Amino acid sequence: MIVLAALVAGAVAVFFAGVMLLHRSLYVSAVSLLVVLLQTAVLFVLCGSPLVGLLQVMIYAGAVMVLVVVTIMAAGAEGGRFADFSFPKPLAWAGLLAAVAETALVLAHGTAPAAAVVDPALQARLGAVLFKPYALATEAVTLLMFLAALAIAPEKEAA
Amino acid sequence: MTALNLTAVVWGVTGALFFFGLAIVTLRRQLLAMLLGLELMLAAVNVSLVHHAGIFNDAEALAVVALVIAVAAAEAVVGLSLILRMRRGGRGADAALLTELQG
Repeated sequence: MIVLAALVAGAVAVFFAGVMLLHRSLYVSAVSLLVVLLQTAVLFVLCGSPLVGLLQVMIYAGAVMVLVVVTIMAAGAEGGRFADFSFPKPLAWAGLLAAVAETALVLAHGTAPAAAVVDPALQARLGAVLFKPYALATEAVTLLMFLAALAIAPEKEAA
Repeated sequence: MTALNLTAVVWGVTGALFFFGLAIVTLRRQLLAMLLGLELMLAAVNVSLVHHAGIFNDAEALAVVALVIAVAAAEAVVGLSLILRMRRGGRGADAALLTELQG
């Protein structure tokens, strides 16, 4: 059942990735990517990494994609190709039905939703790895995010 | 057997998502669509890394996934900032129009 749920999540992710490629509207592409990222978060949970799935939902699907959609809508106020904000109803229903099917398949399994046998201490070791052997990389990424925040700071008007 | 089936699903999904991301980056001409394609490719790689971490109990793979998510977030912020700045500067958001650099 769990592998079937993973199959459904993967199929829906691939379908919406195809919609991203074929649809002309940027708004539809962005919302489709949001669905893909949520389905990959489901795959993360089914692979035995709920912590990374949570990070995916919070950072990718939550922060980044909302930023992208708001940017498209802000640019759409100027008109042109960005101005189409309608999302096809059949696609919305397909995404909703997939979420219901995955939930039903996981609930039918009746236990913790992980298809692979994973060491319970794996998630706990993640923090130790990030702040011991990968401490320099972690600090570098933190600095990169700080610089990204500076990149969106408004410019001072030239005198 | 179950792990083998899940591995097949994960590899299929990873390959298909990466293919679609690459196709979006190469075939579509809007800069925002290309940025979305890049995000799709990064997400595809993360799927296989998480599965690898689960199979081999490898915490380093999970650490790499966390770092990739953070780098992708920073890249999206900078990319969107640049695209909005180009639109405000009247240079449009079409990759075909950007044929020269300007300081």
